Amino acid sequence: MMMLDSVFGATMNNNMPAATTKEMSEEVDNHLLQKKVADRYLKREVLGEGTYGVVYKAIDTKTGQTVAIKKIRLGKQKEGVNFTALREIKLLKELKDPNIIELIDAFPHKGNLHLVFEFMETDLEAVIRDRNIVLSLADIKSYLQMTLKGLAFCHKKWVLHRDMKPNNLLIGSRGQLKLADFGLARIFGSPDRRFTHQVFARWYRAPELLFGAKQYGPGVDVWAAACIFAELLLRRPFLQGNSDIDQLGKIFGAFGTPKHSQWPDMVFLPDYVEYQYVPGQPLRTLFPMASDDALDLLSKMFMYDPKARISTQQALEHRFFSSGPPPTEPALLPRPPPKKAPLNSMASDFNPLDGPTVLSPPRKSRRVMPHREGFEVKGDKIDDHGNEGRQGSGHPPTSLDFSVLGARPPARPTINRFCEKSGIGGEVYKSLDFVEPMEPMIWR
Amino acid sequence: MAANFWNSTHHKQLLDPEEADVVHPIDKERGFTLEDFKLIKMHMANYIARLAQNVKVRQRVVATAVTYMRRVYTRKSMTEYDPRLVAPSCLYLASKAEESTVQARLLVFYIKKLCNNFFLTWYLNSDEKYRYEIKEILEMEMKILEALNYHLVVFHPYRALSQLLQDAGMSDSTQLAWGLVNDTYKTDLILIHPPHLIALACIYVASVLKDKENTAWFEELRVDMNVVKNIAMEILDFYDSHKAITDDRVNAAMHKLGLKA
Repeated sequence: MMMLDSVFGATMNNNMPAATTKEMSEEVDNHLLQKKVADRYLKREVLGEGTYGVVYKAIDTKTGQTVAIKKIRLGKQKEGVNFTALREIKLLKELKDPNIIELIDAFPHKGNLHLVFEFMETDLEAVIRDRNIVLSLADIKSYLQMTLKGLAFCHKKWVLHRDMKPNNLLIGSRGQLKLADFGLARIFGSPDRRFTHQVFARWYRAPELLFGAKQYGPGVDVWAAACIFAELLLRRPFLQGNSDIDQLGKIFGAFGTPKHSQWPDMVFLPDYVEYQYVPGQPLRTLFPMASDDALDLLSKMFMYDPKARISTQQALEHRFFSSGPPPTEPALLPRPPPKKAPLNSMASDFNPLDGPTVLSPPRKSRRVMPHREGFEVKGDKIDDHGNEGRQGSGHPPTSLDFSVLGARPPARPTINRFCEKSGIGGEVYKSLDFVEPMEPMIWR
Repeated sequence: MAANFWNSTHHKQLLDPEEADVVHPIDKERGFTLEDFKLIKMHMANYIARLAQNVKVRQRVVATAVTYMRRVYTRKSMTEYDPRLVAPSCLYLASKAEESTVQARLLVFYIKKLCNNFFLTWYLNSDEKYRYEIKEILEMEMKILEALNYHLVVFHPYRALSQLLQDAGMSDSTQLAWGLVNDTYKTDLILIHPPHLIALACIYVASVLKDKENTAWFEELRVDMNVVKNIAMEILDFYDSHKAITDDRVNAAMHKLGLKA
């Protein structure tokens, strides 16, 4: 949920939420004063509204690099640094990899915590949605390979991402794809630890999660990566369930209801219910344009039994990646056009009046989302206690924060994350994730 | 937590013993000796453990909180970062980082309840002075994050310990070895040595105490036994000197912190 949609410059649109407009005027002030944040960053335009604060574009005066700064609101919270933000900081400090977003810096400023990320131009969702883009098999291979590389690195470090979706796969100026949004990520590997199954946007949720599994592993990320692979092939989300039950129905409709032999442990899952048997369709029918190698890898990533599902490392070694055509060089990958002409961008860095001006990229009209009722309510009248509840109910609770800025015809389901916002888990989290009895001397 | 200690920021941050126990110049100026410094850190480690018992978090959170506190004082002075506030704030931060979140108001409640035990006699007269409010904890949380340079992942000896004990056929000494590991947090060992070596040192001490002969097992491990023995010596030294630590000495050191700013 990073700065991405930013790219499309829809920030000055009339549908701007009140809160963001306020931020914008602050921005103007800052520009007029030529003020640097933390003596280092020159603030530019607002890129969007995140789960826990505003994201700005900025120039790092130390390196000249363009960065995205997430400002994490703290002021009205009674629980200090946002729990989700803290997870992200904790894990990204340990995860340094070319296919994982870089956390460049963090600093407090006026009582708020700011996280500095490398600036990314776009995201995979924008690529998939852009009808002017043709994705060749080599392009898909390249995007999938980078996704799996980033994921394999996480898994090697015993981190589950738990929110894989095209919108969280950011794409940099040289085409490099990076995993972002580690706000739901967790360290795994402790045997018997129980996790919440309320992770991932629904369309990317593995069947074991939909059946309520509390002990799960890297397979959940692999399933989501498979959904992304399928989405790259189809150019639309593959399994678009409109409820958890329906999601399983969609999965079984595609691959057939799992037989006992395919997934013996399924019946023991907490929320297991029997589904009427449906036969499923051959992968070839579902993905008529895909190569045999692509289908073979896809079928292994979509294995029902998480134990039988291919690992990220094995997937990277699959012949899909070694057989021709080779994956496209990242720099040559097709991407949506950048949001503004580079001509005046340097000049504007230092022109106080040029700060948050209206940016009108060609794609803007497509990204604007007119019906976001409820969003405007938010912002001014958040009281201490109602904060998370209000955000949760005011508009679709979202982890793709900038969805405000983008049009996505069928509303994409996301994780209900509001319970985390206070820094204290909601009931679901409380019972599963956070509270453990004190273990006097011994623990795992 | 599992895995990959060697690539972690924890590993990269390990210190030489001389670097860990350095009294900040500002504190020195105010009359803090190295002894005071060690005593206060130990006292605060105990305080964190006691608070943790009350708010009911697992031991791992305690270990992480104490590590945070000790790291803070390799960089910051006690004059500027009052240990009486830093300790509970570290526990608060650690509870989040270890996914066992504790509510700040619950913590503040127990700070008030426990302060009479931990900030003794001289303190009783200045009743209100050592109670911290939520706001102060939250502000300190941010300062601690900065002081830690946002490195939050910490590895502990416990996981290695249970595996190693099993491997050494010493599962019956689990209780003892675990207690030893807990006590290492009263020193700066966690800042200096890789956790699995601390675990081995505790097993080594435990086997000596239990008169268990397992030299062969230690020799089969591919670790530098000199380091393990040195850590074991430090642990034994700690127990030796611990006998001489009286409440009066702790109080005298705490007294130098003065009244709450």
